[in-house]
Amino acid sequence: MRLLLFVILLRLLLPAPILVTIGPQQTVRSDHPITGVHTRLTDEVEEWKIKRTLELVREMGSPWIVEFFPWAYYQGSDGDIAWQHPDQVINHAHAQGLTVVARLGLTPDWARPPDTPLTYLDDEAYEDFAAFAAAFAERYKGKVGYLVIGNEPNLSYEWGYRPTTAEDYVNLLKVVYPAVKESNPDMQILAGALAPTLEPEGSPWGLNDLQYLADMYEAGAAAFFDGLAVHAYGLTFPAEAEPDPDILNFRRIELVREVMVEAGDGDKSIFVTETGWNDHPRWTMAVSPGQRIQYTLDALRYAEENWPFVEMLALWAFRYPAPTKSYMDYFTLVTPEFVTKPIYDAIKGYTGNDAEGI
Amino acid sequence: MMPKVSRRKSHAAFISAWAPLYLVIILIMIMPLLAGCGQKDDSWQRIQREGVLRVGLDPTFPPFEVTADPDVSGLDVDLARALADEMGLEAEFVYFGYDGLYDALATGQVDVLISALVIVPGRMRDFAYSEPYFNAGEILVSPTSSPVEDMAGLDGKKLAVELGAQGHVEATQWAKRLQDLTVLPYPSSDEALDAVALGEADAALVDGVSGRLYLQERSDLALKRANQPVTVEPYAMVVRIEDETLLARLDEALSSLSANGELEKLTERWLGT
Repeated sequence: MRLLLFVILLRLLLPAPILVTIGPQQTVRSDHPITGVHTRLTDEVEEWKIKRTLELVREMGSPWIVEFFPWAYYQGSDGDIAWQHPDQVINHAHAQGLTVVARLGLTPDWARPPDTPLTYLDDEAYEDFAAFAAAFAERYKGKVGYLVIGNEPNLSYEWGYRPTTAEDYVNLLKVVYPAVKESNPDMQILAGALAPTLEPEGSPWGLNDLQYLADMYEAGAAAFFDGLAVHAYGLTFPAEAEPDPDILNFRRIELVREVMVEAGDGDKSIFVTETGWNDHPRWTMAVSPGQRIQYTLDALRYAEENWPFVEMLALWAFRYPAPTKSYMDYFTLVTPEFVTKPIYDAIKGYTGNDAEGI
Repeated sequence: MMPKVSRRKSHAAFISAWAPLYLVIILIMIMPLLAGCGQKDDSWQRIQREGVLRVGLDPTFPPFEVTADPDVSGLDVDLARALADEMGLEAEFVYFGYDGLYDALATGQVDVLISALVIVPGRMRDFAYSEPYFNAGEILVSPTSSPVEDMAGLDGKKLAVELGAQGHVEATQWAKRLQDLTVLPYPSSDEALDAVALGEADAALVDGVSGRLYLQERSDLALKRANQPVTVEPYAMVVRIEDETLLARLDEALSSLSANGELEKLTERWLGT
């Protein structure tokens, strides 16, 4: 009895939980609707932080978010799927008027051989992955419009530390595409996103993205995706630096586009699901904070004016749940404590949403 | 009336009642022994035997590492030598790119990293950090005649910052707290500091390294930095997590250099007063 009283007393002393409501339906106001961000809510456990993040995205004038939904986090070996977290993210994003591009990946341990990494997905589990993707597409009808299948499959690291081949990835698309379309015909399947890399054929680390894309078409990919997800970082180059097959820069997107056109697939759109610059003081691939702001705005402007085939540019990354204390922190627009950085204010001003601080 | 129990039974009951406590005491006693299980050998014995401390650094971050063929010099180099001296060792330097420093330490290519590194909580499973030896946080620079000593004293003033940098983020936050603070962003920290020297701004908020270097190079200008940094960004040495003895010796040596004023002298040599 005393213990019960103690527990009740202790419970009364605890602060009340923060009540979070979805709130009224919002709309994004943006003079430049190509603007997008890759949020990082996968590891954000507090609902009010999810909501606050997405409010800030809307207030910045970004109609798009790209978010990662790891299969391994949600589906147990019994087949049950824990929808609570993706429900929170997607329902809040929908209420904020944001278009969601959902990236699916990471394999649960029950769907891969022992002692393999989370990025290991082989053909024995393609059907399981496709079933999860189809269930996801079915559940979020009307709230999620695009699915990205996997991530940077042209890198060995992202392919379970195995030699990566376009044919393997296309075989995955061939299983996933019809399964998703059957459950939700409106869902757009995005292939990729290929990592920008110059790795030559035979490299243990990966394969040049342009070569890999050409190989994908060779393997019959065209009929099994609706748009191409692309990663395009500016690194130390300005946004408008000329593209070159031997250089990694922002306008490499144009070279990717050339491969699509050559394959007779020029009607499809490109979705840039990761882009941006970094302003870490020491990272060798970084620029100064002022350059980062300028190059980012230039990139948004350049893409809008010159690339009718690009639907969206998602800046990596909007905010992390906690500081990494590494160069990765210098990609973000907002700190973990929700302090907006000057680059956030600059984009907010660019989209016509009353910037402050610049 | 007290129940009658035999002496034997009473003793057993006593043991039974206190058994959990005994268990806890025994566990506490053996925990240090268990903690050592599964860990690799501490490097300290080898370092002592060889008399050499292998120091990893990225030689591209002046004034902590300054490349001047054929050698690398800088605050971290001097600090490493002074620490090694304190420990009766010789410092041997091995150079890596900034991105490869932790891998070099993890794979045993060096014993310690002394390379203007910030403390990263996410790495503490594999690595341990020393006590900090430098604070690279944001500092406030103002004319020597100015009464400004901290951010709270900037109400009604103009504050120069580097566009988009951490100082800009911090200044924007202070602009919300103070009634009237005008934040003036400049393309670089040097230009923000120039603005103070030219009277365009009342103070500048810049990172500790850039600010101190500027003040050292432009000692002709009547500028000063506030006593206390506005933010904290400590630099520390890094060792492998199992090298507890090495870490303890490094911290002892650092403490000794701090106590005898040598650390301050080294810092002032490279970054000014």
